[in-house]
Amino acid sequence: MQVLEKLLDRIIQRVNINLRELGFDVTPYVHELAALNQMVKFYAFYGITPQHPINFQFMHSNLAGSYFLGRCRVTNSLLYKSDIRGDELKKKGAVFRFKQYEIPITRDEEIDIEDSLLIKTLVHCYSHDPESLEKFFIKDTIAMHYANIHGSPSDGCFLAPFSTVDLTTMHDCVVGEFSYIQAGEISHIKIDPGTVWIRSPEKFNFLYRFDSRQLENYIKFIPGSKPKGLLFDFVEDKKKDFERIFSLVNIETPRSVPVSATLDRYAVIKPHTKISDNVLVAQRAYLKNSWLGKGANAQENCYIINSRLEGCDVTAHGGKIIEADLGTKVFVGFNSFLRGSQDARLTIGKDSIVMPHTIIDISSPLNIPPGHIIWGLIRNEKDLKTNSLPIREFSGIETDFSIGNMIFEGSGSSFVSGFKDRIDHILDSNGAFFNGSENKGHAQKNQRISFNMIQPYPMGELKGLFPSITIQP
Amino acid sequence: MVPISEYATVQEGDTLFEAVLALEKAQEKFDYEHTPYHHRAVLILDRKKKVVGKLSQLGVLRAILPKNERTQQIEDISRFGFSTKLVNSLREKYRLEEGFVDDVYKKAIRIKVEDCMQTLSQGEYVDEKTSLDTAIYQLVTGMHLSLIVSRGDEIIGILRMSDVFGAVFHALKSCELTE
Repeated sequence: MQVLEKLLDRIIQRVNINLRELGFDVTPYVHELAALNQMVKFYAFYGITPQHPINFQFMHSNLAGSYFLGRCRVTNSLLYKSDIRGDELKKKGAVFRFKQYEIPITRDEEIDIEDSLLIKTLVHCYSHDPESLEKFFIKDTIAMHYANIHGSPSDGCFLAPFSTVDLTTMHDCVVGEFSYIQAGEISHIKIDPGTVWIRSPEKFNFLYRFDSRQLENYIKFIPGSKPKGLLFDFVEDKKKDFERIFSLVNIETPRSVPVSATLDRYAVIKPHTKISDNVLVAQRAYLKNSWLGKGANAQENCYIINSRLEGCDVTAHGGKIIEADLGTKVFVGFNSFLRGSQDARLTIGKDSIVMPHTIIDISSPLNIPPGHIIWGLIRNEKDLKTNSLPIREFSGIETDFSIGNMIFEGSGSSFVSGFKDRIDHILDSNGAFFNGSENKGHAQKNQRISFNMIQPYPMGELKGLFPSITIQP
Repeated sequence: MVPISEYATVQEGDTLFEAVLALEKAQEKFDYEHTPYHHRAVLILDRKKKVVGKLSQLGVLRAILPKNERTQQIEDISRFGFSTKLVNSLREKYRLEEGFVDDVYKKAIRIKVEDCMQTLSQGEYVDEKTSLDTAIYQLVTGMHLSLIVSRGDEIIGILRMSDVFGAVFHALKSCELTE
């Protein structure tokens, strides 16, 4: 275990050096939480498909319980139960468009993780950094439980639990728990917990900040102890179900899954769940007694329980939907937590956008009309009035608008069309529009996938370390 | 340079109000024969008469601003790339809702000077033998409004940017007149 301890100390020091300007020391947040004993127990696995170029290079790292797809290189790092999903990386010959530039991609892109600690973190999409097109780097970075690093190269950063950085390059930043950042590029900044910030310079700027006292009921992360709160308890309660599917070598896909849909063998499917055509259910998704209509998807770390999704609904990474009915084409953003109950169901009308990191937690029935955009913390009808707008009204904002804890500046129509375009892109790349021969996406392409396992040294000087290994076609 | 004896000073433990009075008194006493510029700061001394900080006009204004969770949130918004226009409109909204009242001043005058002073960095000291050219570099690169002039361990005066500017201004004028 000494080798893992040394590795952890080295990573902590490297991150601290980067964050010294912010006066932030990651040691108390990380040292006791990185469960090195656990890291010896779990195998890592990687997927092979004809669609995704592979080049796995693992060096001097622990990869316990982690999953890899596409081209990934991991060096001097600790990855615990993380998903490194390289199925949207740029391919050689593609052209990257940024402002007035059109830059050709000269080689297949790879995810390059170095000197980093990722705990239950999802890494997905491709580098949106125009200065680093062929390398999606994650360097000197620590990401805690259920963080999402989505198309966001990172250097010298700390991401607290349930935080998301989306399409943003980060240098020397601290991102607080349950914060969502999509801002293109950030550096030397400390983001408080519960900050939802979406900025496109010259176009729009959206900011919502959770009340810290209210947020603590859902997620609280203090130095030296595990994350606490409803969100963390909710996912930890389901841990046993995942342990069972990870311990089985072969799992048969249920016959009820249509040929145009993908149900990942590392997803948990409880009884009375309906999976329709073109549905994508990713690994570590959890479905129970729910209906997923045609083209709906459940991405990594999603939980859909006692709910009905009519079709073409997107549940982004970490989204949780409990006791809810969603009309068609409802988008539920990253890490959102929508919780109704048997006596207090949540209904969201078609074509609505639930912004990333939204919490809806109700004790009486709540009906959100079609075509609404929703954000922040909503516990009742009153909260809904200050945390939502009809999309048409939002599109009409031309200068600025503020309500409750939300501030918006810029063009509402740009903001809305940005979201809508992205939702269409997600549905398209997930295969929601597959017609039997055209518009194939992940739901169709990820069906024929082989999984291979690798294991760490069980004892001796290198205990816990995975052997350095290169896996190529 | 203004000798320290002519400059406004207060002691650690004094209040913002006492600092303002000290500044007023120093301004009244100051000999304006050689310079038209008023004093604009107060030096904070410890019990051993050593300079431990400086309270500038900006420091006084900063000290009287209301500080609570909401004002902090408004000020924090600038970090996120919002326009000054929007931030100002939020400040106005707050002012209308909460009022920027006399109470703010009543609270402010009781603030201890050490809670609102600016501690001095190494770059804010200059030896008495330093040339004016070098002192100008120090003012410009450090963006300071004044420098503390020392003789060994002793503080003997203040070199104010306004006085340095006055000297440069006269030099420029005489240069133009002789050509």
